[in-house]
Amino acid sequence: MTQPAMQLQNVKKTIGSKPIIKGLDFDIYPGEVFGFLGPNGAGKTTTIRMMVGLMKMSEGDVFIEGKSVSQDFKSAIRHVGGIVENPEMYPFMSGWKNLLHYSRMMPGVSKERIEEVVKLVGLENRIKQKVGKYSLGMRQRLGIAQALLHRPSVLILDEPTNGLDPSGIREIRSYIRRMAEEEQVAVIVSSHILSEMEMMCDRIGIIKNGELITIQTVNEALQESNLKEVFVDATPQEQAKPLLQEFTESEVKSDQNGLYVTLTRENIPVLVRKLVENDIEVFSVSIHRSTLEDKFLDLIGEGAIE
Amino acid sequence: MSNFLQLIRNEQMKSYSQISNWILYGILALLVIAMAVFIKIEGQMTDGSETGEGGDWRQELQAENEQLEQQAEEAPSFAASNEEQIAMNQYRLDNDIEPRGYDVWSFLQENRTNTAVISLFTIIVAAGILANEFKWGTIKLLLIRPISRTKILFAKYASVLVFALTMLVFLMVLAFLTGSAFFGIESASEPYLYFKDGSVHETSILQHTLLQYLLGSVNLVMMATFAFMISAVFRNSALAIGVAIFLMFAGNSIVAFLSRFDWAKYILFANTDLNQHLSGNPMFEGTSLGFSLGVLAVYFVIFLCLAWAVFTKRDVASA
Repeated sequence: MTQPAMQLQNVKKTIGSKPIIKGLDFDIYPGEVFGFLGPNGAGKTTTIRMMVGLMKMSEGDVFIEGKSVSQDFKSAIRHVGGIVENPEMYPFMSGWKNLLHYSRMMPGVSKERIEEVVKLVGLENRIKQKVGKYSLGMRQRLGIAQALLHRPSVLILDEPTNGLDPSGIREIRSYIRRMAEEEQVAVIVSSHILSEMEMMCDRIGIIKNGELITIQTVNEALQESNLKEVFVDATPQEQAKPLLQEFTESEVKSDQNGLYVTLTRENIPVLVRKLVENDIEVFSVSIHRSTLEDKFLDLIGEGAIE
Repeated sequence: MSNFLQLIRNEQMKSYSQISNWILYGILALLVIAMAVFIKIEGQMTDGSETGEGGDWRQELQAENEQLEQQAEEAPSFAASNEEQIAMNQYRLDNDIEPRGYDVWSFLQENRTNTAVISLFTIIVAAGILANEFKWGTIKLLLIRPISRTKILFAKYASVLVFALTMLVFLMVLAFLTGSAFFGIESASEPYLYFKDGSVHETSILQHTLLQYLLGSVNLVMMATFAFMISAVFRNSALAIGVAIFLMFAGNSIVAFLSRFDWAKYILFANTDLNQHLSGNPMFEGTSLGFSLGVLAVYFVIFLCLAWAVFTKRDVASA
């Protein structure tokens, strides 16, 4: 495999006597989107702050393009673009001035590059306006623009879809995928929303109470667990329920809306045919949630914070 | 080095993009113009009564001196202050120097008190320049650039000094323009008299004025540095402004209160007024200009080192 864009080696953080991060080891490669998933308070933001040098590591080190963040901060950080938490900009300056401000802090960012980035995130019509007048979605885009100015090889986005509407989320997702695929950028995305992660990440690392529990490749995980929980709205329910039970060993659940059954994907058409053959009226059959989510929730343990 | 200048440019851009900054300039301009108007009105009122006597300035000074001497005999408590005025008048008579009318130079010199106002404004700017980045949350984006924290800190400090200097130049230019418009320009080559060590000395008015502004800036720089340090350590601009302004106003009282102790001469505020050495009556016996400059330098270095140590070492935790 290629040289990793970012490496974490035994990264630890202790505040007072309390270990916050208990030793993280993982690599992130060019062209991949790495999801950093965990419940609130698991240590995602602390880890990201250590990656970009805002917080010092108590032990271990982070290497970006082979350069140590703790020893050679300037060489390491020049390859990184990021948003840490909210995309906070200077509200009293225009979007353009904000970008100009950051461009002066990095070598080799021309005016043309700023214009290019503005176009990339689709802000060209509003860039002369004060950031204070921007919506959260526009600020998020400006945040991404500022992160991309110097063509970083590692892009770190902490909760990039926070506060965005669905179309905004979709747009951000497509930027992120495009960055990874076309520019071979290694993207690190943190979130506590699994469904979002499933859609944009190649690999997902799960952190809980400062420890990395597992790293899953999204495709593998999806194939591995081919079982789906399917929602069936059919009448009469009493007659449908025993038919559904034939497809699964686990119990068929029901509520006032309909029935929930867990079965493999291939069995869904078979089930529908069976219901129809038995003169049961089917209003809707849909995948309620994948068992990937169940699996992750089992790992995370429903968000308990130590 | 070039990116240090870029950082200062950034700071200037940020500060002049805020309306509050322009309000400070507005207040200063208003103060200068209001002062000119008051002096003008006051001058017109007294002019009317005095020009009536008309006549020679020599006779006037002589009359004034006689009056002052008489007053000193009647009430000895006035003697000390009158002595200075008598000596000045006598010097004029002896050397044939006509007393100056009130002109732009007098006005410019009077405006040196406005350096205290600039100190106040500089404290506000110095207190906010770091603390606001934390408040806005922009510190996170500022520190993830290939620039050391030391450089960012000192660019911000340099930017505070640039602001103070800009304000001083603004004050002087505005005072000069307003002064010329209201009071006219007399020759700048006329000597300016001052009293030091029991005798009268001559200097050029321009030199004297610039020196006064320079001395006024000492307090400005020290208090701004102090506010900057508090802001870097506590990341709270309100605290920095409050403490710095309190000390600026209470400083002299603190020194006066503690003046019976010998160590009081090492207090910052016992040394910020360098005029005490130039006029020859220092606040504490045995201190000199060199001593005060030394004390100021030590405080200056301590303030900046504290700011540096805290800012470069501390984690930027959740805002």
